[in-house]
Amino acid sequence: MEESTTENPPKTFTCRLCGFSTAFTYYGQKPPNTRAIVLLEECFVTRDPFSPDKEKFLVLGSTCSLCKTCVCVGSDCSLFYTKRFCMQCVGKHLDQFPHQIQAELAKKSPKAAAL
Amino acid sequence: MDSERGRHSRVWDWDSRQCRAQLDEIFFRQHDYIQAGSPEHREFWAFFDRFQRFKIKREMSGPAEERREDKKGKKKSVTKTVDLGLPEEYDARYRINVSVCTRDIEERLGKSDHRSRQRSSGPGPHEISEFRLTLLHFLDFSQRQSFGKLAKLRQEQKNLPIFQYRDRIVELVKQHPVIVVAGDTGCGKSTQVPQYLLSAGFKHIACTQPRRIACISLAKRVSFESLNQYGSKVGYQIRFETTRTTATKLLFLTEGLLLRQIQQDGSLSQYQVMIVDEVHERHLHCDFLLGVLRSLLADRSDLRLILMSATINIKLFSSYFNDAPVLQVPGRLFPIQVIYQPIPPEEQPSRSEKLDPRPYLRILQAIDQRYPPEERGDLLLFLSGVAEISTIQEACQIYATHTRRWIVLPLHSTLSLAQQDKVFDIAPPGVRKCIISTNIAETSVTIDGVRFVVDSGKVKEMSFDPKAKMQRLQEFWISRASSEQRKGRAGRTGPGLCYRLYAESDYDAFAPYPVPEIHRVALDSLILQMKSMGLGDPLTFAFIDPPPTASIQTAVTYLKQQGALDSCGELTSIGSLLAQLPVDVVIGKMLVLGSVFNLVEPVLTVAAALSVQSPFLRSSQHNPDCSTARQPLQSNQGDPFTLLNTFNAWVEVKGERGGGSRKWCRRRGLEEQRLYEMVNLRRQFKELLKSHSLLESQESAPSGGDREQRRKRFTEKKKLHQMKREHELQEGSKRKVLKMNEGQEGEFSSGSDMEEKGKRKKEKDGAGHDLDIQEVKFKLRHNVSELQEAVNASQDLSSRQQALLKLLLCRGLYPQLAVADEHNTTRKDSDQVFHTRNKQGVVIHPTSVFASDPEVLHVPEEDIRETGADGKESSKHQLLAFVTLLETNKPYLSNCVRAPALQALLLVANSVDTNADCTRMVVDGWLELELREPEEALRVLSTALKLRAEWERLLQVQLGQSSSGGEAVQGVSRKDVGKLSDSLVRFLLYTEIRYTLRRLTALKTQNLYVGPQPETDLSDTKALVLNPLFPGAETKPDPIKGGLRLTSSFTYNCLADSKNLYSECLRTFWTCPNCSLYMPLSPLERMHHEASCRPAGEQQQDDGESGEVKPGPASASRLSRVYHCDVCDEDLTLTSTEILKHKRQHMHSAK
Ligand SMILES: [Zn+2]
Ligand SMILES: [Zn+2]
Repeated sequence: MEESTTENPPKTFTCRLCGFSTAFTYYGQKPPNTRAIVLLEECFVTRDPFSPDKEKFLVLGSTCSLCKTCVCVGSDCSLFYTKRFCMQCVGKHLDQFPHQIQAELAKKSPKAAAL
Repeated sequence: MDSERGRHSRVWDWDSRQCRAQLDEIFFRQHDYIQAGSPEHREFWAFFDRFQRFKIKREMSGPAEERREDKKGKKKSVTKTVDLGLPEEYDARYRINVSVCTRDIEERLGKSDHRSRQRSSGPGPHEISEFRLTLLHFLDFSQRQSFGKLAKLRQEQKNLPIFQYRDRIVELVKQHPVIVVAGDTGCGKSTQVPQYLLSAGFKHIACTQPRRIACISLAKRVSFESLNQYGSKVGYQIRFETTRTTATKLLFLTEGLLLRQIQQDGSLSQYQVMIVDEVHERHLHCDFLLGVLRSLLADRSDLRLILMSATINIKLFSSYFNDAPVLQVPGRLFPIQVIYQPIPPEEQPSRSEKLDPRPYLRILQAIDQRYPPEERGDLLLFLSGVAEISTIQEACQIYATHTRRWIVLPLHSTLSLAQQDKVFDIAPPGVRKCIISTNIAETSVTIDGVRFVVDSGKVKEMSFDPKAKMQRLQEFWISRASSEQRKGRAGRTGPGLCYRLYAESDYDAFAPYPVPEIHRVALDSLILQMKSMGLGDPLTFAFIDPPPTASIQTAVTYLKQQGALDSCGELTSIGSLLAQLPVDVVIGKMLVLGSVFNLVEPVLTVAAALSVQSPFLRSSQHNPDCSTARQPLQSNQGDPFTLLNTFNAWVEVKGERGGGSRKWCRRRGLEEQRLYEMVNLRRQFKELLKSHSLLESQESAPSGGDREQRRKRFTEKKKLHQMKREHELQEGSKRKVLKMNEGQEGEFSSGSDMEEKGKRKKEKDGAGHDLDIQEVKFKLRHNVSELQEAVNASQDLSSRQQALLKLLLCRGLYPQLAVADEHNTTRKDSDQVFHTRNKQGVVIHPTSVFASDPEVLHVPEEDIRETGADGKESSKHQLLAFVTLLETNKPYLSNCVRAPALQALLLVANSVDTNADCTRMVVDGWLELELREPEEALRVLSTALKLRAEWERLLQVQLGQSSSGGEAVQGVSRKDVGKLSDSLVRFLLYTEIRYTLRRLTALKTQNLYVGPQPETDLSDTKALVLNPLFPGAETKPDPIKGGLRLTSSFTYNCLADSKNLYSECLRTFWTCPNCSLYMPLSPLERMHHEASCRPAGEQQQDDGESGEVKPGPASASRLSRVYHCDVCDEDLTLTSTEILKHKRQHMHSAK
């Protein structure tokens, strides 16, 4: 009975920025059973819990290509533009991003500032 | 480039079905991530169309963007510090972190030019590339969608007040065997605590709930939250349904079900963690469960117990478990303003009057004046009962129709489920819901969006009167705890307002907590269960709050009367069986009795029907159309027969029309849900009887045999499962907007209303797809043709079967019997009065067939021979057996069945006392029967005793068989059963003896018995140490009543007016019809002789068994005993009659 109390705890992904936390089942660019699909970055992946199909995956987050911080894919925490950037790094190098992205961020910046 | 695109588009049409099919073949093959035909595939194409439209729009505003980008590009190079290496030109595809590549796609993208030319009609490289990009956008879109959902879920969990105690809770559970988590509404304990334990690695967690519906909804919610929506890690188990598998780690189940599991497995080894939720509600089962778990913890040091409660009386629970640590969590309620608005004296209802609606209307008015209609928020009004609700509903409806600002909806458990469901629908803008409810909305039903609460401060609660053995529904002031609970309903979604229609001083005077159920109800089932769990003396069991001793004693006495406990209070064989049936003792008894006779099918139906709420809706009672449609279902034999007819007719409709049964039920004012419950319960009963070997588990050959049929059933089941899943996916997605006239009309007021309802249902199910999920579940669970066969066996019962079934019901329901008042024939139909042993002056509930047709209970005029001081002499007296006696404004009998009085009493009563010639009989010390002819009296009594003995024997064989596991013992023979049923039926139907029937007066009760007699007077009876009726049992003087106890239920000659036993004057010459015996015999001697003397035909059989027989009258039988005669000093094998004769010889010779 004793060992069953402490069953191997699932590996947990936690976003350093927002604290979002959930178990992940795979880390890498080629989640299992995804056929022709390849991820363009190393990601924390889990099974999509909202799909009845067991083989649908869900990307939770990855590491910032600049500062290596672990961040979730939520738009408040990170941005993918050919590479993953955490919002802090995006802020630092905002000028290098195309104006479409700048405009987008400016639009929701009051909200981002509040967070 | 433009020209190329133009050329292609001439042969390539994105909207053509053919072109799309070609793309499907490239991108969505069987082994691809998305397969053609799957739900995602449909979603993709919908996305594709949206995306195309989006692109066209963007292309139109495209050039302007490009120009601006050029400007920015220049600026960029100035401030650059670290080069991120981002592409110069913006493209949305760079924002996607997914790619799709197969060799197939690569080839088509133009790497081998000649191949693509070969497929001139197919997609070219440009189309492939464009399509792939759309696919990537779709994948990105669905990723974002799912992640958004997950992030939102996690955020909501974090926002719950209990979240910050997460680690603390896990830690406490690891360190202590028992902990108490106390938190108010909205703190999230019920959904979160089980999850915390799951993610901490605990397995085998059980969480009990007082209500079945909560088990289902919690399991659903928790499996969603723990991201196991499509798995079975989290499941539920209730009476008929379970989603539990071997993979289930967390199980929600009812308290009652867990108790049953403990009954089977005393150490409850299947669980590691027990969560008992809502312990503060103090339900009977919960209080008992806590007691059982408390003693179980002593043997299971590894078991973890978590009690979850509102912040009510926490110390009680903690100290009961050795001062278990308490973790208190604040609730999450918005502030609620309380306004005390006591009802002025002139508006206080007097006891008999209806409620005065004025105080309630004033509040509606006040809300309308103070709050603009744009400010949303509904009103929830708590009243004590259904009658009160309809009074206030009526008044509020008039106001609502006038102002058009309210939709008035009642809410109580006797409404149809569809009607109850309406309270969750949404009011149109500018209109508020006014929900008028019983205390069902206090805990069981949670309605969001309530801003105003009106609390009448009253509740109707069931209490139990052990003296009258009657349930009573009485109005009480609520407790402070309930009052707070009601108030809290106003602050779930925003700040609220609570009007209390009583003074603050009243509030202060309220009891702090409601009276626990264990103090209010009959404890029969509880005590029986305790006995079967081997928990010892119920009086010494360590309950958290012990019930009154009198309650326990009443229950024990009742169980003894029922034959479930023996005189020492130990479980009898029938008792131990009854303890395992999840029904009332009386219903369980019916089932067991029915299994002996060939009446299993109808008894199963009746037992199931009597265990669920009545399917007949109260609201339809006054609807003439419903009454007419119901007419053919009615039986004047009694309500159980009406229920039987109804069920049978419903099954027939199911077989013929399937889903059409819904309409059939609506037309008759039947709540179909109850019939579904009945059919499920019926099946459970059948399985229970089988598992106890009370029923042969024969495979029904016709449905199981045919392979083709089985295959058909299999495909049908697959389809049904699919339908059920689809229904579950879309379930609860949308709430309907209420119409202004909703709730105004009754459910059955007009034909157009019915159409309305049909339409409404369709809209709700979406896309005109009128799925009856109950029908689907029914078909999944039951084989209709099998059920029809079973039902056929109970349809059109012959009058003989009917008589027997009635007898079984009487014996099952005994001692719940009532007799008509002697003056009923002169009273109006509505004034008919009845009496039970413990309660005088009860009436028949208006829903019963005997309320509308009381004449069938009267003794027919033409049969009455004489009406004297002793009452009417007739052979047609009847009595009623009833299921419930409940006092509301009057004491009502419900679910009654009628039966011939004398016969039924002699066959089922626990105590029959007679005078010396048996012309006077007193049953159970309250009913007196007088017969004119001693001859007849003796014959009927003697027959009844014989039948009872045989019935008892067969029952014991049947039960013995079940306890020993069955097969080996070839117990009850069909022949014996057939013979007994024939004799019982003959006795019931053809006993034509005139007698009077009346209740004993108080005076007569006082001097009823002769009392114990001095030894010398009974010297003669010493000879009667043998009791031929029940070999082995002794006939002995009754120590209290006097007279002689012949069987446990029959005492001879103990009534005070009796003449002396064996006084010569009572001996009359008599010829035995079976043997040649002719001599003067006393009634008792004669009975003995009759019992031991078998007809010639039966004798041979007996001879073989008994072996050596002493010569004597031809009455020799196995009932002969060894008798030692002191005078002869010899052992003689004689029957009791022979012993008497022998003794008399000596007496005469001595003289
Ligand atoms: Zn984050
Ligand atoms: Zn970074």
